[in-house]
Amino acid sequence: MQTGQSPKIINLHGPLTIDRSSSLKVEIAEALESHDNVLLSISLVEELDLACLQVLYAAKAEAAALGKDLHFLGSVPSKVTNRLKACGFLRGPSEHAEGFESALVGF
Amino acid sequence: MAQSLDRFKATFREEAFELLAQLEDKLLELESQPLNGELINAAFRAIHTVKGSAAMFGFDAVSGFAHEMETVLDLCRGGSLSITKEFIGLALKGRDQLRQLMEFEDGVPADIAEESESLLRRFKEFSAKATGSSPTTMAPQDKGPAGGAPAGSAPILQARTYRITFKPAGDVFKNGTKVLNLIEELAGLGQADVFPHMEGVPRLREIDPEACYAWWEILLTAQVDENAIRDIFIFVEDQSELRVAAVAEGDGGEIRRLGDILVDRGAVSAGALRDALGSQKRLGEVLVENHVVSKPQVESALVEQEHLKKVQQRSETAGSIRVASDKLDALVDLVGELVTLQARLAQTSLDMQDGGLASVSEQFERLISQLRDNTMSIRMLPIGSTFNKFRRVVRDLSIELGKEAELLTEGAETELDKTVIERLGDPLVHIIRNSVDHGIEKPEVRERGGKPRAGAIKLSARHSGAYVLIQVSDDGKGLDRDAIRSKAIERGLISPTQEVGDQDLYQLIFEPGFSTAKTVTTVSGRGVGMDVVKREIDSLGGSAQLSTSPGAGMTVTLKIPLTLAIIEGLLVRIGSEFFVVPLSSVDGCIEVLRDTLASMGRRRIISYRDELVPFVPLRSFFSSEKDGGKAEDEPEIEQIVIASAQEYKIGLVVDQVIGDYQTVIKPLGRLYRDVDGVSGATILGDGTVALILDVNRLAFVVQRESGIKAALGEA
Repeated sequence: MQTGQSPKIINLHGPLTIDRSSSLKVEIAEALESHDNVLLSISLVEELDLACLQVLYAAKAEAAALGKDLHFLGSVPSKVTNRLKACGFLRGPSEHAEGFESALVGF
Repeated sequence: MAQSLDRFKATFREEAFELLAQLEDKLLELESQPLNGELINAAFRAIHTVKGSAAMFGFDAVSGFAHEMETVLDLCRGGSLSITKEFIGLALKGRDQLRQLMEFEDGVPADIAEESESLLRRFKEFSAKATGSSPTTMAPQDKGPAGGAPAGSAPILQARTYRITFKPAGDVFKNGTKVLNLIEELAGLGQADVFPHMEGVPRLREIDPEACYAWWEILLTAQVDENAIRDIFIFVEDQSELRVAAVAEGDGGEIRRLGDILVDRGAVSAGALRDALGSQKRLGEVLVENHVVSKPQVESALVEQEHLKKVQQRSETAGSIRVASDKLDALVDLVGELVTLQARLAQTSLDMQDGGLASVSEQFERLISQLRDNTMSIRMLPIGSTFNKFRRVVRDLSIELGKEAELLTEGAETELDKTVIERLGDPLVHIIRNSVDHGIEKPEVRERGGKPRAGAIKLSARHSGAYVLIQVSDDGKGLDRDAIRSKAIERGLISPTQEVGDQDLYQLIFEPGFSTAKTVTTVSGRGVGMDVVKREIDSLGGSAQLSTSPGAGMTVTLKIPLTLAIIEGLLVRIGSEFFVVPLSSVDGCIEVLRDTLASMGRRRIISYRDELVPFVPLRSFFSSEKDGGKAEDEPEIEQIVIASAQEYKIGLVVDQVIGDYQTVIKPLGRLYRDVDGVSGATILGDGTVALILDVNRLAFVVQRESGIKAALGEA
């Protein structure tokens, strides 16, 4: 088992919809188990629905409970931010991963 | 999952049918009020919701067609397309087409697809007229939000602020609902502040990735009513918690106090807020001390505040739920079984002569009677739900026949059992079609006769005891007495020399094959219709009456029992057989010596409350006499139950009147269905079957067979 040193990058791509929510959960859970630092690259995400968004929130809570780091990486597609803004999830600039993370309500 | 999806599709269909009925209603109203913005908005909302949900459930043909209709209606909303009779005609056809398309989920037959295409071409022609573009190049435009006022259109509703709480059910994703789409659509209605709550999302190891944990609070200021908001959630409302409360009228109105908002949101309890506020002086006290306002002024304002709070609380608690009608039918069946079982319990307690058991049985009876009344009241629906269908019939038919006619309705709120309403539809359509076809004259004829060009057909409903009276009247030419008489003679229903009263003569149009129309049209005149009406109304346990005055119109009155499932009856016995007379038709009971009756011979008339009433010995009517002679168990004193049948009274001679009886109506088997004078059966406490008497039919048969009229004349 690899621990700590290098961050684990998960490249998310395509539509992140309910069909993907279970595998996404498993993928992030495994990464958190083996790494102290997990980065989620979201530049190639085409769609993000509520089921997967909840998995991302759950992952953040899991990381915090385990004392590990989980962050986003890369630029955020406007298709994703526009929808999240309309649904009240984003407060503030969110084009880049860092801003996106701090703008996500309750993340 | 597939099964639950089917269930949601069924719900979608059911609700889409309701929306299409609403659309039809609004379009018909628009025809007479083409400038009513609220009606245009309502029609638009209906079609928009159908479109959205059809797309969600994969009814692509419906959603595509609805999209084009929505585009045209949107032009009407914006004022760039004016609403004409021609447009309403097309829109109604579009509605019918949508109704038809709802039947096909996976592919539409070629002929129907062709119809759709042809209608869509016409819609496009309409919008092309409005936009000045060529019909084929018109770009589909989706204005998105239901009910949101488009730019340029006059504001119709005043802007209101709503607080919306939406907590989707945990399994909301399972039916394919895209929750974020709903929130987006809602936010699109106006100015919205959306607060998602994700605090319920558990840690990754605990999360069910296919369950919903998020919920929302949304403050929305928009020119829409509450229905427009609820429409968005129409397919998830049953499994979600949705609260919509108007916070303020206008642009937010008065700024609410922080304490109130915190309490409303449940962030702080009213008690905690009171404690915190208790440590400081109340605003009213400060104002009074500073002589800014008087004490009474403060008190009066506090009363107003209290009132508004109460009103708001009341409006939040009112609500209703949607229940599948088969569940309701099952409930009525179960109540019916309980009523039957209770009768058996009462009988057993009587046989056992046990005081304790009798007391339980009585309490049981009281409870069951309440349960029965409650259950029956749930099945009651306002008859107005079927009125829209008739408005459409009048409209289409008058156009087809080159006439002008308008349907006026009254008493739409009158409630009737759901089954009765369903079965009334066809007879009423027949009567209304007859009125338009035979009653209402052509506009020019009406003008010559000093009548307005447009004929009026009035459909009204009102309660009358255990019945509902439904009247269809028109201001047409009325019935032609002479034509009916000669037709009746021709058909051998009366003899050429026979004198028949007007009322009896008019009733003949309910006979099979009776039509005085000189020409047979596609609408009526074949003599099929009114007899069907009569048969259907009879089978409902009701009656049909007709009155007319030449040149001034005709009125058909239907008297329909409120319910068909459980009735109050009077249990009677003849020999060893039991019968039930519906209590609503019972007028009274009298006792007569058997010898007195026997001495009357064939003149079977008795005096009852200064009225001569014909009677029928049910023993002989139902051939209960053994070997045609006098039965051994025939009592010395006979009972006569006086029952009202339409405008006549009739006496029913029985051996014994047992008492009132809650009667669960069971249909008759094939063998007994055509027995004259019996409308159904019921099961008594000891399991015996009792037949339910059809008093109207008995009266008719007695009149026909024994020539009561003549007897009355002699007496």
